[in-house]
Amino acid sequence: MTAVLAAIAAVALATAQWFIWVYAPVEETMGVVQKIFYVHLPMSIWAMASFLVVFVCSVMVLVKKDDKWDRLAGAACELGVLFAGLALVTGSIWGKPIWNVWWTWDPRLTTTLIMWFVYAAYLILRQSGVGGERGPVVRAALGVVAFLDVPLVFFSARKWRSIHPTVFGAQGGGLEPEMLTAILVSLAAMGIFWAALLSLRSRQLGQASAIRNVFLHQVR
Amino acid sequence: MLGPALRIAAKDLRLCLRGAQGLAQTALLGLLIIFVFSLSRKPGEEVPALAAAAIFWLSTLFAQVLVYSGLYTLEEGNGSRLGLAMSPIAPQSVWLGKALAGLTLVLCCQVVFAVAVAAFLGQGVAGSPALGLACVLIVDVGLSSLGSLMGALASGKTSRESLLTVIFFPLIIPVLLSGIRVLEGVVTGGDAGLDWLGIAAAFAAVFSAAALILFPFIYTGEE
Repeated sequence: MTAVLAAIAAVALATAQWFIWVYAPVEETMGVVQKIFYVHLPMSIWAMASFLVVFVCSVMVLVKKDDKWDRLAGAACELGVLFAGLALVTGSIWGKPIWNVWWTWDPRLTTTLIMWFVYAAYLILRQSGVGGERGPVVRAALGVVAFLDVPLVFFSARKWRSIHPTVFGAQGGGLEPEMLTAILVSLAAMGIFWAALLSLRSRQLGQASAIRNVFLHQVR
Repeated sequence: MLGPALRIAAKDLRLCLRGAQGLAQTALLGLLIIFVFSLSRKPGEEVPALAAAAIFWLSTLFAQVLVYSGLYTLEEGNGSRLGLAMSPIAPQSVWLGKALAGLTLVLCCQVVFAVAVAAFLGQGVAGSPALGLACVLIVDVGLSSLGSLMGALASGKTSRESLLTVIFFPLIIPVLLSGIRVLEGVVTGGDAGLDWLGIAAAFAAVFSAAALILFPFIYTGEE
């Protein structure tokens, strides 16, 4: 399953590169730097999808009490933090030549940054072994609480900085058809890549857990 | 649920205020933060109301971490947590009792912080004091509901203070922004923005509801 997904992801990502560099036209005002948009947007969308998966898996841990959901939540969170971090970095690289700043307190950027902090803390919590025997349940509680915070963070960030660039709002509606096709292909390719990574990482965590259980069994 | 919660809160307050060492330490930490931030300005230079409000809430947050860490440490020895978890009361009573005790302790500290902000940072109250009090109370309720849940989450760890700080701080950003904005309005006498209070109240409601559902999963007799 993981190998098949990885192979499809490799082909899809290569195809997406063709759409980005050959099929989609160069944007008139921003120039070639706008191409980063085709990587930036899919990463931020799949980061948010990862956080949604963390929430759903956390609820499943509380309901089903099955460790496989905990491992899936952990794998999704790792991917979410990675993708959100890369989305922030690519956004900064894109923003510098366009707005002449590395960072602007736009609600979406602020929300992504705060969510990055929250889920990075979730990962630290996982590594710290907090909760002992009740670890999966404790982590699930944080997974639920973190996701509940998302809309509140977004609303407060939007109110805090009422003046923000409208470039974001105009982006979706103002795309050329070729650009729209390229971003959709890129989004799908990144999604397959994300699914392959999620499958691989949750399997690794499952294997690590199985090995740990074997050792614990021998010690006892 | 309310009766046992009040008894737990009373018990915790008696233990925390015995000798008042914990409360004094918490208040001292907050005072130090306010003093250190006052050094960022040249003598005689005015501190903006927004910055002063942010410093007040920052002191409160650090105090909050110490308070809830301390409250959940009370049951760490002699298997007391197991006793409390097994007692014939709703588990949520423990969350509510700790939240009420923590709220009381943090409010005590905030009285000291308010005086310190006025003295060290040269701030006054040009707006409505009632609105200021309402803001502090609503934001504190939100902070306490989440603080009590997070305190239980980090209990049993030796590094619980640092762990609590890392988890707690990013989560409370919405209510923190509300508190800063409303207090700025109270200090300057400008528009405090009642809609900010709405966000703080929404935060308190969401996390109180979440805590009522999640706390029984977290606070168990398991080590």
